[in-house]
Amino acid sequence: MIYNILFLTLVGGIPYYLILEKIPAIKSKHIFLLSAFLLLSTIILSAYVPNEHKTSLVIVSLVSSLFTIYKATKTTNFYKLAYYFLFVNAPFFVLYEGESALYSLSLLLSLLGLYWIGRFYERNYGSANYRYITGITLVRPYIGTYLTFYLIAIALYPPFPNSLFFLKYILGSESNLLWFGVVITLFFGNFFLAMNVMKKTLFGRPNSHIHYVHMTAREKMPHILIIGMLLLFSVFGLKEILL
Amino acid sequence: MEKIILLIPGIPIIIAFLLFFIRKKELIPKVSIMLSSMIALLALYGTYYVISNDTQIVGFDGLLVYNELSAILVPYVAILGLVIRKYATKYMWDEAGYRRFFILLNFIFASIYLFVMSNNLIVLALAWQLLSISLYLLVSFNVGSNTAVKNAKWVMIIHKAADLVFIIAIILTYQTFGSFDLTELSAKWLSMAHTPVDNPMIFVIGLLFLIAAMMKSAIMPFHIWLPYTSEAPTPVSAVMHAGVVNVGGILLNKLAFLLILAPAVLNIAFVVGLVTAIMASLIMLTVSDIKRSLGYSTVGQMGYMIMEIGLGAFSLAIYHLIVHGIFKATLFLESGALIKLARHDSNLPKRLTYELFWEEKIKPKGKKLFNYLAFFAILPVVAFVGIKMVLTDDFFELNASIIILAFAWLTGTQLFLSFFKVSKADSLKVIFALVSSFVIILFTYEFIGLALEHFIYGENAALFYKAATFNVTTIMSLVMLAAIMAVGWLFMYTQHFVKVLKSDKKQDSLKWSFYKFLAKEGYFFNVIETLKGNKK
Repeated sequence: MIYNILFLTLVGGIPYYLILEKIPAIKSKHIFLLSAFLLLSTIILSAYVPNEHKTSLVIVSLVSSLFTIYKATKTTNFYKLAYYFLFVNAPFFVLYEGESALYSLSLLLSLLGLYWIGRFYERNYGSANYRYITGITLVRPYIGTYLTFYLIAIALYPPFPNSLFFLKYILGSESNLLWFGVVITLFFGNFFLAMNVMKKTLFGRPNSHIHYVHMTAREKMPHILIIGMLLLFSVFGLKEILL
Repeated sequence: MEKIILLIPGIPIIIAFLLFFIRKKELIPKVSIMLSSMIALLALYGTYYVISNDTQIVGFDGLLVYNELSAILVPYVAILGLVIRKYATKYMWDEAGYRRFFILLNFIFASIYLFVMSNNLIVLALAWQLLSISLYLLVSFNVGSNTAVKNAKWVMIIHKAADLVFIIAIILTYQTFGSFDLTELSAKWLSMAHTPVDNPMIFVIGLLFLIAAMMKSAIMPFHIWLPYTSEAPTPVSAVMHAGVVNVGGILLNKLAFLLILAPAVLNIAFVVGLVTAIMASLIMLTVSDIKRSLGYSTVGQMGYMIMEIGLGAFSLAIYHLIVHGIFKATLFLESGALIKLARHDSNLPKRLTYELFWEEKIKPKGKKLFNYLAFFAILPVVAFVGIKMVLTDDFFELNASIIILAFAWLTGTQLFLSFFKVSKADSLKVIFALVSSFVIILFTYEFIGLALEHFIYGENAALFYKAATFNVTTIMSLVMLAAIMAVGWLFMYTQHFVKVLKSDKKQDSLKWSFYKFLAKEGYFFNVIETLKGNKK
């Protein structure tokens, strides 16, 4: 039971909203790094401590996920969005726990990409807020491509590993009402949030008041690495799901 | 050696990858066309191999198959892809994102090939989803336009819902039949077809697959994504109307043996197809935007296609989607070319159709309703009956699916007439052209369509007709045919010959309400606005 509560605290979101978001000294990018670290720890921990999830915990995390989706629609900040995506997927981590390690890792990788894009925005446009940085696809196609890849991965589309592992787990599991609730929430929650970001920053007319900055070769490196890793994961995911 | 054909879905992905690194703009279409020609050649070789050896090419641990269905569809998609790429070379040249366009185009073709050639439900699901995301990125290609992005949102929402329904259907299929392999499943379904089956889960699975197909094929009430994608570049419209919307029909063909076990699903397919065909054909005639009119025309044709499936005429649906695809792609590509030419020359560019039919005639109008109805309604029926009587002795046991084909032809001709303004064209020539096209369609169906049925399903084709318990009798078919023709031509007539009412004259309220209902596309967007609370 204690383990379950700990698990929920690590991935459930609400404690962050109640405590961390209220402390001005802690910035959203720190919250993402902290929550990503905690999720990673939980994945490792769950591999060593076999544990059965409680239905009540799945329900609590599902409610937390729905609340997070609501909160995420209100933000236009990449850092915040990165950790919101973690919390949106919390019911999946709780429901599939040890088995969801590969999905969690793929998600973490995609969110890391989003985090790096946020860092690029912060360095060049003053903050990780993308509200007025519109039409990236047209003016900076490389950044547009990276961002498109991350968002497609998060929105659970193939050939990215998130979708493959998600599909693998749901195909092999027993379905019940709660299962349907979790699957539908995640399937559409991730999708709507990712599409929202696409609409707001990838699409739209370029903002004439902003000087759009190119990525340097050095800045491109983390993205190329992340996308390369995602594709490697995809190959593994395809093998897992098909063979 | 023949296994190389199974690499077809991977080639467009390789092209997309290569295009990412090509610096010279001129090389982008060249590489794309050259390598897609290879796909077309491979596809033709594959078809030759399948026909000459009377066998299937299976590979990748049974995940992909080049069977009879692929042998027909893959060359069609490959040649269509080649034409569209060639067309887009110049058409898209001045657009921002030329490289992006070709990359996305290759992805969408990869997903269509994968879909057609998949022999496993999971591969099918992956191709199904890849198609959704590629389509979204292509429809919103003009990212600077708010309306294009907004309309693309509708595409995405409906396709995402289709993805979910599809995934749930394959989960239930696996739980019920214990396999994802389509060959294995088809054999199992076929063996079950010989004995009565009483498992409600089969109905649920069949229904879910039908709903997913309806969503992707823009069948009512999921049609709304298709007519509103007119801001997409013309080559994208051609891909959508000639390729993407057909996947619903292809899916149902792949699952044909499952649907034998669920006749109720076939009946539902027939009814929704019928409603879609009638409603979309009527809306097509009332909407004021020509591109939206074309969109509704495609929705209507998809309705016919689903109706054909509902009647058990699975192979006819394949024949229909190919013929319709060629027709609609030509229409879109020609309209795009016309627009481009018109930008340089203020006079309408003269095309073959223009020179043949367009002769300005000032004639007294308004008193020829009977003559026109007689010509346009009776002549096709006479031709139809004549051909059927020549070809088959037992005319009165005619295959109801032929009627559906006739509906399709009629809608096409209505569109044709809307497009070329029959009231001002040389009517006799037009009538001759339309009746000839009808005769050609019927003859090609009789000879090619039936050969196609034998090629794809062999002796099993009879099982589908037996399973389709919704019997459309000859009389019912003819009544429906006549009703649709009469309504269609009446609309045509009122559109071109009836004088517009002056403000002091009051329109008949029932007629007016019906017209408003159609012109406002069933008040769909009004309902959405009301739900959003934005009603002005």
